[in-house]
Amino acid sequence: MNDRLIVRSLLRGLLNQTGDHDDFADGDSLVMSGRLDSVDTLDLVVFLEEKYGIDFAERGFEKNDLDSVDSIMSLIGTTQGPSK
Amino acid sequence: MRIVPQLDRQPRLIELVQKPAGKIAISLAFAYLLRLNGESLYIELATIAAALSFFPRHRRILLTGATLYWLLVHPNLIRRSLIHSVAAAEGFTEGWGLVLLTAATMCAVLGALGWLLDFVGRRPNHLVGKRPVLAMVASFLCLLIAAGTLQLHGVPRVVVWTLLTLVGPYLWFFAYALGDYTSRAHDPYKLQVGTFFPFWVGSSSSSTPIGKGAAYLRTVEAHTPKDLAVVQLKAIKLLLWLLCLRLALTLFYAIVYGGVFPAAEAFFRAHGVPLLNLPTLAAALDQTAAGNSPRLPLAWAAVVAHFIVALIGVPIAGNMVVACTRMAGFNILRNTYKPLYATTVAEFWNRFYFYFKELLVEFFFFPTYVRYFKRHRRLRLAAATFAAATLGNLVYHFCRDSEYVYDMGFWPALAGLQVYAFYALVLGGAIAVSQLRGKRAPETLPLHRRVLSSAGVIGFYCLLEIFDYEGRGHSLRTHLAFFVHLFALPH
Repeated sequence: MNDRLIVRSLLRGLLNQTGDHDDFADGDSLVMSGRLDSVDTLDLVVFLEEKYGIDFAERGFEKNDLDSVDSIMSLIGTTQGPSK
Repeated sequence: MRIVPQLDRQPRLIELVQKPAGKIAISLAFAYLLRLNGESLYIELATIAAALSFFPRHRRILLTGATLYWLLVHPNLIRRSLIHSVAAAEGFTEGWGLVLLTAATMCAVLGALGWLLDFVGRRPNHLVGKRPVLAMVASFLCLLIAAGTLQLHGVPRVVVWTLLTLVGPYLWFFAYALGDYTSRAHDPYKLQVGTFFPFWVGSSSSSTPIGKGAAYLRTVEAHTPKDLAVVQLKAIKLLLWLLCLRLALTLFYAIVYGGVFPAAEAFFRAHGVPLLNLPTLAAALDQTAAGNSPRLPLAWAAVVAHFIVALIGVPIAGNMVVACTRMAGFNILRNTYKPLYATTVAEFWNRFYFYFKELLVEFFFFPTYVRYFKRHRRLRLAAATFAAATLGNLVYHFCRDSEYVYDMGFWPALAGLQVYAFYALVLGGAIAVSQLRGKRAPETLPLHRRVLSSAGVIGFYCLLEIFDYEGRGHSLRTHLAFFVHLFALPH
């Protein structure tokens, strides 16, 4: 599974936990729109730290970076080079 | 069945509101509903909102103009009485001199913030550039400690307290601007100013930034005439809902407490409805402090009634600001959204005080979470939760209520926060446990289990309200004695 599909799958799981089963596009806002709350993103933070070695303490933490599939892929891209 | 119709889903209405006549009509409806909701500044609020809807391309710069107008004409946030008290105590008469000093200090504060924002943008690797909010809040606390412990006199004392009085309520508005400047694409300073206690707060004076800062407002701004029409109809819908809540609160007050709405009480008497005349929770605690605890049924009734008032009153206060923000073209989330649906302690907190929780999450939870105990997942979550719900909560209230430091001195003011500190500690612990146990109840959970979960959460917050006391008049001992009394235990 490529990175984008893994991220989509993780976000799908987080949305399901909140009872939100609606579909979402890669550019759709999920955190700022309120579909996921800030604390829902913790799993995402841990995932990005563990899988991609992203150090949010070093680079600064911005919720905008975790707002959509596209913004997460862009974040991964800036730390890992071009995404798959 | 819906009490308020889904105005924002009516295609013909959405079409109408996009036309000039529709814009005028919705602005008039907005003004009228604000007035019915008890907002005294309804004409100015509706006029500014109308200007923003007629000139949406210039929304953000008009917002800055409106914010500066509100600062000059309705500076509700600034506790001017404290500035006057300090000046009088130091022998300065009230008049233009004091007004000029206050205005000059405010200009200096906004200038210093502009410099700090520029510095953060230019020097992201500097210690202050990396942790600008921490630097600002720590500086404010140091100044507050100095003001409360050093023997200052004359002009220096007036200047220091004027500075504290002006900066204190703006602290978290400034924090959001600093947070935005650490990002790559931030708004310029002239647009950030528009988010510092914007006009949409109306006549309220809460220092919690409802609508957060520029970064959030950018993401929820209406960009098309249709988006604007929909968000404005959502504002009207919300005001109609708040009117229903206000009516419910009025009736509840009249029946349960009495003495506030004579017309409603007369109506109930005429129709044979019994009026309860219960003591408020504050009165029940005063009685306990005097060694004369109310009878057990009355004590319980006071606790439950207080919680019901909070359940209705908090949504009214916060969502009034949300409605005005939406009318200005920003589709922000509600401050309170169906709290009784919460099945965990953490979820209730999120649903009840959304923007206060977001403030604590943004400036205390995440900075802790991404830095400490990264190898210990559960400890990491618990530490970040305590940093937000306990430490951040206390820092917020201590900075906001600086007049206690002026009145009592630093250490007594700090010690006097003991009841709220207990509240924040229990809250932090409960939210941490709630988060460690897992998230919301799954949808597959049987209805009776969901109801039981919700009832447990509501019961917890109802009792916790006994300690949600931000004043300095009572000791923790009094509040604990009242709590123990509720369970008929000796104290």
